[in-house]
Amino acid sequence: MRDLVRLELIRESLIAVVNEMRANVIHSSYSSVLYEGHDFSCALMTADGRQIAQSLDDHPIHIFAVPYSTVEVARAFEGDIHPGDIFLHNDPYTGGTHLNDILMLFPVFHAGRPAIFTAVRCHWGDVGGMTPGSLSGRVNEIIQEGIRITPTRICHKGVMNEAFLGLMFNNMRTKAERMGDFNTMLGTTRKAAEHLERLFDRFGGDALLAGIEELITRSEAQMRAHIAALPDGEHFAEGYIESTGPTPEPLYARLKLIIDGDEITADFTGSSPQTAGPTNIGPSMAINSLGTIVKSFLDPTTPINHGSFAPLTVVAPEGSFTNARYPAPCGAMAEVKHLLDALVAGALGEAVPEMKIGDHKGGANHTYISGPEPTGEGIYLLYEWPAGGTGGTEGVDGNHAMRFYTEGDFSSLHAAEVVESRFPLRIERSELREGSCGDGRFRGGLGMRREVRLLGETAVLSVVSEKNVIPPYGTDGGGNGAGNRFTVVRDGAVLEPSPVPGKISGFKLQPGDVVREESSGGGGFGDPLERATDRVARDLRLGYLDAVQAEARYGVVVDAAGEIDPARTEARRAELRAARVHLTLAAANEDEFAGPKRTCRLPTALARRLGVAGGQMIELRVAHGPGVRGWVEIDEAADGERLPLGPAGMAMLKAAPGDQIEVRAVARSPVVGGEA
Amino acid sequence: MAARQLLIGIDVGGTFTDVLCYEAESRTLLPAKVPSIPGGQWRGVLDALDALGIDKGDITAFVHGTTIATNALLERKGAKTGLVTTEGFRDVIEIGRTRRLVGGLFDIKFQRAQPIAERDARVEVPERTLADGSVERDVAGHDFTDIVARFRALGVESVAICFLNAYVNDATERAAAAALAQLMPETPITTSAAIVRERGEYERFSTATLNAYLTPVMRGYLDTLAGELAQSGVAAPVNIMGSNGGAMTLERAAGFVAGTFLSGPVGGVNGALRIAELAGIEDCITFDMGGTSTDVALVAGRQPRISHTNQVDAYPLQVPQLDIHTIGAGGGSILWVQSDGTLEVGPRSAGALPGPACYGRGGTDATISDANLLLGRLPTNRALSGGLMLDHPAAERAFQAPLAALSDAGADPVHLADGAIRIAVAKMAGAVREVSVHRGFDPRDFTLLGFGGAGPMHVMLVADELAMARAIVPRYPGHLSALGQLLADHRHDFVRAWGGRLGDLAVADLAAHLAEMRAEGEVLLAAEGIAADAMRHQASVDMRYAGQSFTLAVPWDEADTEWGPLRAAFDARHGETFGYADGGSEVEIVNLRLISLGLVERIELAFRAEAAGDPVRERRPVWFDDGFVDCPVLDRDRLTAGAAFDGPAIVEEAGGTTVVPPGWRVTVHASGALDCRRMPGDDTC
Repeated sequence: MRDLVRLELIRESLIAVVNEMRANVIHSSYSSVLYEGHDFSCALMTADGRQIAQSLDDHPIHIFAVPYSTVEVARAFEGDIHPGDIFLHNDPYTGGTHLNDILMLFPVFHAGRPAIFTAVRCHWGDVGGMTPGSLSGRVNEIIQEGIRITPTRICHKGVMNEAFLGLMFNNMRTKAERMGDFNTMLGTTRKAAEHLERLFDRFGGDALLAGIEELITRSEAQMRAHIAALPDGEHFAEGYIESTGPTPEPLYARLKLIIDGDEITADFTGSSPQTAGPTNIGPSMAINSLGTIVKSFLDPTTPINHGSFAPLTVVAPEGSFTNARYPAPCGAMAEVKHLLDALVAGALGEAVPEMKIGDHKGGANHTYISGPEPTGEGIYLLYEWPAGGTGGTEGVDGNHAMRFYTEGDFSSLHAAEVVESRFPLRIERSELREGSCGDGRFRGGLGMRREVRLLGETAVLSVVSEKNVIPPYGTDGGGNGAGNRFTVVRDGAVLEPSPVPGKISGFKLQPGDVVREESSGGGGFGDPLERATDRVARDLRLGYLDAVQAEARYGVVVDAAGEIDPARTEARRAELRAARVHLTLAAANEDEFAGPKRTCRLPTALARRLGVAGGQMIELRVAHGPGVRGWVEIDEAADGERLPLGPAGMAMLKAAPGDQIEVRAVARSPVVGGEA
Repeated sequence: MAARQLLIGIDVGGTFTDVLCYEAESRTLLPAKVPSIPGGQWRGVLDALDALGIDKGDITAFVHGTTIATNALLERKGAKTGLVTTEGFRDVIEIGRTRRLVGGLFDIKFQRAQPIAERDARVEVPERTLADGSVERDVAGHDFTDIVARFRALGVESVAICFLNAYVNDATERAAAAALAQLMPETPITTSAAIVRERGEYERFSTATLNAYLTPVMRGYLDTLAGELAQSGVAAPVNIMGSNGGAMTLERAAGFVAGTFLSGPVGGVNGALRIAELAGIEDCITFDMGGTSTDVALVAGRQPRISHTNQVDAYPLQVPQLDIHTIGAGGGSILWVQSDGTLEVGPRSAGALPGPACYGRGGTDATISDANLLLGRLPTNRALSGGLMLDHPAAERAFQAPLAALSDAGADPVHLADGAIRIAVAKMAGAVREVSVHRGFDPRDFTLLGFGGAGPMHVMLVADELAMARAIVPRYPGHLSALGQLLADHRHDFVRAWGGRLGDLAVADLAAHLAEMRAEGEVLLAAEGIAADAMRHQASVDMRYAGQSFTLAVPWDEADTEWGPLRAAFDARHGETFGYADGGSEVEIVNLRLISLGLVERIELAFRAEAAGDPVRERRPVWFDDGFVDCPVLDRDRLTAGAAFDGPAIVEEAGGTTVVPPGWRVTVHASGALDCRRMPGDDTC
């Protein structure tokens, strides 16, 4: 009994340490990305690099990267860690995320040995490299993204390595700010270490460490029990990074998810090789996706520690963009992480159907507008990352323009009043993007539209965004959300600021230009023709959909007074159902790909029926999961009724040759009757 | 004036309505407690006055802490609200800053709170005020009849007008309000800049919309209350406690509901502040533990901290409030066994009904109150106030379920009860750390002031956990909020977005703005019957280093004619707060703030022992540390000023039980408060 109470007191105490660390970073940091964006994490790690405690306010993208890096540091300095030592790390190839995320580790000793590391990982506004801010869509090697810090001791027995720090800071922009952030991390890890030492005194060092092991063991046992309750099986998913940045060529990711007893393995074998563009991740990120989704699906509420992740294994072939090595840039790691999240969510959903959920904006939507200050001194920078709609899931419609369940709860927009008073810009509108939801029995949330007018003389626009070409998927027959879209309106005409949608680099704006940011809608869940009509009526009343969309997409017909007409609705739904195109699956020996793209050969007549042309995308829909997508290749020799599909595609759909399958076009925007 | 001057403070809680009456002549307090009446708070107020047995005509001042706003919001029982806004910004309150605001990480089924004004009741007008205050598109001449028709069709009962940049210039908001008032004179209208004069449209629109949503409910309540009180013979003006810790008139409260969400809890802080003053204490942390939640606030130098950026439920609330941190743990919090086999207390609570198992009202879950009973800290042989006899077997039964869920064969109810208290105390200590350590204060420099129904039972345990050396339990700890209402000064907070780089600003301009704000304060206070010589004004400016985001409030001395002293004060405060000052960089002013106070007479408390005789009522076994010890139970009514005793001891009074653990020495202060000090040599933390 006493032990159980003490265990709970230890857990409370450890979480209190982490919460205090958070408060310290927020209140003392100098970069807006920290004090306002909250792009950082605080954690406690065991001496061998296992997660002891992290708060539910921390950014989950760091949950696994911090342990991975800690293992690397502990290995590099094994037997050579002393009181007064401090370590720094950001190398993506040994556990980092991207170079901007800097990790500091501070060892706390018990009985003469390192027992716990206090850890802070913060996004620094600039770490050098070829562009201000260090992140760019145009890089082709990591050297261009800033300074890379492999496990490094920056303080040895209390003596700072000033030579190293000087070299580091001298290779970063806005050096004073960086030093401020560094001092914040130093203060935070140190204060946490002092707090831990008080806990050693209070509980007794051995008892505290034993308690930590007990908490980790219990979390592991619990996660194993959750996994063991799932049926054993293999589930498959595939998806794309829609463009690498410099080129419009996509990257292909493939997942085999194996549930075996009380363990889960995610195997990304078959994914594209690493790329010269920024969409690569190091070895800690794929496990991050697996862990985040497993935690969300199976055990979302209990405190986080390493035990929950012990039953998880990732296979990501070295040299693929899911486990890249030097010199692959990793600046756009968030985009890759979101893709892998979506794959794991799709595959694990096969085993946990009540958690299946439509996909979302798929990355950060970094948007930068920058120009000379009107005073003539320096430049201003407006940096926003507009959220999109979240996915629909059983029982719940998606939320409009909101941070997703795998994302930390950051503000992604500045107040228009702040923007207008600081910059030569005007926010013309900031509103929901009507009709952008992925349709479904439970629809996705709406994305948003924000229009920023340039009042000054010149400025440039840069954007790093995914899902501009390949929109967020719906699941279980749900429709896809409208894709992200970034355009410029000049004299009433809509311009595409880049040949590669969503990857805009330094587009020159003219006075009066309006930057139009449109974020994606969330993917829908379930067949929209089965959506309760009162829900559609509410969407109509609130203007989320208009009458034309309600009829075309949900088969709901309203009369002149706006009341639903049940008879016409039933009839319209029957018509829409009958108009769906079904094909018979035929076995192909191999899945057919043109480079990274899955291809589907269709004769012209069938392509017309589906409303697609060659080079456009179709999807094979199933009542469970997100289905399979591929690019159309027109081939008059192809069968108009039978669709050949290779073994991987069959496995993903859990289908067999001879099955009837619904096929439809993947629209960048599901909107009819108007521009979304 | 009547012969007997009576001042009344009334605090309406979820379970009880507490009233405290101060008799000026004898300088003594008279408490009463009656059940709250859900849906009829004013009835509870009248019942409480009746229970005092006073002549209501003798009442000269009346301050009321109400939970009307909070309850109506939590139950979503506000008015159908319409919003009129600038073209392009209809969805600001629905999108917000894209945050979830209330947890939601890993939660696939998370659903964001619905906006207070539904989308079909939000209309745009062709209006545009720019960031420099110039009006690009005016609403003059705009025809609002379509909007009014729409609002009428939707059944809109209250309207918020929220225009972009109105914080600089609210002319268009006021013009639109005037035009709408012509067309729908029966409908209350809130304009955003009248409620919040700060930059940031989401936070301002959210606050204004909440205000509009709750205005009809508050008006209805206050009208009824004022009418009923007048009819029952109360001639004194009725004042309402505001979230900023000051009182305001009924009329003001009816138009500024957004300023009343903490109407109840701030009473506790005010009351604690007065008790601390009487005990000569400068720095204290208030610890108000009730049945379902605990409110904690830090008071440094007798100044409670103010928080300007707040949130109620999932909605931003940009009005100044006392910085009170609330956690969902109290006497009714339930002990349970988590899925990984570990123990947890709360956040689920047995609430007022059924309440803890030992209340014998059908509760079956093991709560903190049940644990205290099993440990001998609550009586089983005497009724609590309100005639409640505690049921020991019921409490014991309640612990059987968690016992069975534990794989610990040696466990018994008493050890489990002890564990439950320890876990709850750790959570309380966490809340105290939140308001102290997280804000740069060391709790060991503070006195912990415990009150509320369950505060006195845990205050010294929490102090032990944090190595705090001193604790105070005021007389009538269950009525401290009511005491705080009764003591409240009148107070109005003003803010104006004004500033820029210090070098570009003129002191004279700042003085002119402050003079305008001060005139505004004087008008409000005068309307509340405050004499000119009782008015006080405190000015401060929100400042930061150019490039920073967070601001610090620095007091402005109206005698200053140049920026030098302000700059120095800012550097000093920045150094204290964040550990560094940057004397070389540029400094900006972001906002001007003014607090206008209408001071009421300070009351003095005379000690009054209620009864004579031996204070030791009985001795009974009470659990401390590792076992039961023979422990005296004292009757607080028989403790006289200056009396002293050591723990372990239990002190009982109507409405509260104080637990004094071993290692503590208590002296009875002249105000009646128990002044408790940890004896040296027992530094447990």
